[in-house]
Amino acid sequence: MNLNQLNRILLQTLLLPVVFLLFVAGLLVWQVQNAERTVEHIQVANQNIATANLINALMVDEETGIRGYQNTSNEIFLQPYEFAIGPLEDAFAKLRAGVTAEHGDTQPIDELVAAHQRWVTTIAEPMIDTVRKGGNTRDPGDNLRGKAELDNLRAISGGIIDTEKQENALAVQRWQTQVSHTLYGVVAASLVSGILIGAFARNRLHAVTSAFQSTLIALRHETQSTYESEQRLLATLTSIGDGVVVCNSEGCVVLLNAIAEQLTGWSQQYSLNRSVHEVFVLADETTHDPLENPFDLVKRSNCLTSTLHAFLVQREGSELQIDSNGAPIHDRFGTLIGVVIVFRDVTEQRRTQAALMASEKLAVAGRLAATIAHEIHNPLDAVVNLLYLMKSGSTPEETQEFIQMASAELDRVTQISRAMLGMYRESRTPVALELKPIIESVLVLLERQLANAQVTVKSILPDHAIVTGYPAELRQVFTNLISNAAEASAPGSTIEILARLVAPRGRSLATARAGVAIVINDHGIGISPADLERLFQPFFTTKGEHGTGLGLWVSQGIVHKHGGTITVESRTTPEDPGTTITVFLPRGEAELPTS
Amino acid sequence: MSTSGHLVLCVDDETVGLQVRRMILERSGYKVITALDGQSGLSLFESHPVEAVVLDYAMPGMHGGEVAALMRERKPHVPILLLSAYLGLPPEITSLVNVYMTKGEGAPALLEKLGSLFQN
Repeated sequence: MNLNQLNRILLQTLLLPVVFLLFVAGLLVWQVQNAERTVEHIQVANQNIATANLINALMVDEETGIRGYQNTSNEIFLQPYEFAIGPLEDAFAKLRAGVTAEHGDTQPIDELVAAHQRWVTTIAEPMIDTVRKGGNTRDPGDNLRGKAELDNLRAISGGIIDTEKQENALAVQRWQTQVSHTLYGVVAASLVSGILIGAFARNRLHAVTSAFQSTLIALRHETQSTYESEQRLLATLTSIGDGVVVCNSEGCVVLLNAIAEQLTGWSQQYSLNRSVHEVFVLADETTHDPLENPFDLVKRSNCLTSTLHAFLVQREGSELQIDSNGAPIHDRFGTLIGVVIVFRDVTEQRRTQAALMASEKLAVAGRLAATIAHEIHNPLDAVVNLLYLMKSGSTPEETQEFIQMASAELDRVTQISRAMLGMYRESRTPVALELKPIIESVLVLLERQLANAQVTVKSILPDHAIVTGYPAELRQVFTNLISNAAEASAPGSTIEILARLVAPRGRSLATARAGVAIVINDHGIGISPADLERLFQPFFTTKGEHGTGLGLWVSQGIVHKHGGTITVESRTTPEDPGTTITVFLPRGEAELPTS
Repeated sequence: MSTSGHLVLCVDDETVGLQVRRMILERSGYKVITALDGQSGLSLFESHPVEAVVLDYAMPGMHGGEVAALMRERKPHVPILLLSAYLGLPPEITSLVNVYMTKGEGAPALLEKLGSLFQN
C-alpha cells in the first residue's frame, strides 16, 4: 500500500460518517416539516372550532335581539341582532376559508349560510317589520317555525363543530404518529449508520493493517535474503582458491580472504581499514620498480583491469609472482563504492612454463642438430679431401684452386656455427635489432631442411626493419614458423617471407605503434578451422610423435613478451590451400648500437 | 691398392664435395661418372656398366637409402658405399649397402673401403 492509497482510505473513513449524518439530518428535517404541517392543520381545526362557536354565539345574540324586540318593541333590544349581522358575515367567510385550507367539505357551511339567510328573510326580518308596524307577533305558528329554523341552524353548526373536532383529533393522532415515526427513524438511521460506519472503518483499517503487516513481512524477508546472500558471498569469497582483497572507495581494506592473508602476509584483523596501498603492493617483474596499484587503475579507468607478470611484495618484504585482476563495485546509480582485487600465485605456473619453454628450445636445437651436423660435416669432408689432394701432390694452379675451395667451404661452416650460436646468445635486456640478418641466419640453418623438403623460399626483407627485442628468442620464433611452413609445403612449392615497416596510425592499440610486420606465407595443406582454434594451445600438435606441441605456444609467448601479435589465416580450399602467419613486432624504444 | 680403371658412379648433391671426391678417385685410377641427385644417378646407373657406387645419404627428393634400394632391385651385384654426414643411420638403411661410412673420415679411409669392395 502506498501513501496515496492510505490517504484515500483516511478520506473515505472521514467522508462516510459525514454523508450518513447528512442523510439522517435530512430525514429529520423532512419529518419535522411533516410534523409542522400537521401542527398547522391542528391549529386551523382549532381555529375553525372557535369560529363555529363564535357563529353559534352570534346567532344566539341575533335570536336574543329578536326575542327582546318582540317582547318590548324597544329598538334598544334589537341591538344585539344588528351588531351580530356584520361579524357573522365575517365569521362565515373565515370559517369557509379555514375549512378550505383543511381541504374539508364546505357544503355544510353553504347550508348553514343558506339556512341562516332563510331564517333572516323568513323569520327575523318579517318579525321586525311586524313589530315596527305594531302588528301581532304572538302567532304560535310563526314562533314554532322560527324555532324550527333555529334548531336547524344549530344542528348544522353543531355538525360543523363535530367535524372539526374530529379533524383535530385525527391531526393530533397523526402528529403523535409522526413524532414516534421520527423518533424510531432517527434511532434506526443512527443505529444503521453507526453500524455501517463502524463496519466500513473496520474494513478500511483492516486493509491498512494488513498492508502494513505485509510490508513488514516483505521487509523481514528482504532483510533475511539480503543477509543470506551476504553470507553466501562472504563464504564464497573467503573459501575460493584465489586471493581476494576488497576495499572501499577510499582505498581502505574491508575484506581479506584466507588466501589473500596467506599471500600478502597480512591478517584480516591487521589489514582492516588500512590503506590498500600498504597491504597490496605490486612491483615490476624484471625491474622490481613499484607498479601502479590495481585500486588506482580501477578507480581511474572505472572498469575491469588486469596486471599480469607482477611481483606481490609481501608484508615481510619477500616477493611472489602473481597475476591480478581489479574490478569496480558500483551502487545502483553507477557510483564507485569499492574495488575488489582478485589475484593468484603464479610462481609454480611460471616455473612450469619456463621449464616447458626451455624444453621446447632444446627440442628446436635437437631438431636442428641433425641438419647442422650435416651442414658442418659436408664442408669438412670437402676440406679434408682437398688437403689430401694437396698433400698427395698438385700443381701450383691446382693448389691455388684447392685453397680457394677449402676456404669457401670453411666460410660455410663458420656461417652455420655463427647462426647456431645466435640461437643461444642470451641477452638480459631487449635491444634494437635488424630483422633482415636474423631471418637470413635462420634461413641458413634451415637451408638443408628446406632443400630436403624441396621447398624454395622467396624473401623480401627490407633494410632498417628494426624492432626491440631478444635476438635469440626471435630466431627461435622464425625457425619454428619457417620450419612449420616447410613441413606443411608440398615438394616444389615456395614459401614467401615478406617484412614491411608499419607506421603508427589511429588510436587502436593494435595499430597505434610503429613496428615491423613479418608475413610468412606457405602453399601447404592449410589448417582446418578446428585445428586453427587450438593452434596456440600447449601440447597441441598435428605432427604426431615428431612434434612437441609447444612450438607455436612458445612462439606466441615470445611474441607477446615483445609486445607484438601473431595471427594465423589459413585456406583449405583445394584450388589454393596454404597458411599465412603474420607476426607484428613493435619498434620499441631501444637505441641502435652506434658501431 | 687396385687402380684397374673400375667405373665408379658418385652421387651427391654437394657440388664441391662431389668434385673433390671425383678428383681423388680419378687420381687413384678409377673412372668416375657423377650425378647431383638420386634420379639422375639411377639413370646413369642403368645406362652405364657401373662397377661400384659411392652414394650420399642426405639429398633433396630421394635420399640415399631409397636410391640404394632401387639400385639393388636393378643390379643387385653392384656394390654400394653409402656416405653420410649424419651419425647413426637406422639399420634398415645400412643393411642395404655393402659399406657405410660418415663424411669427414678422410680420403684414405674412402679409398681403402672402396678398394675392399673390388677385392671381394
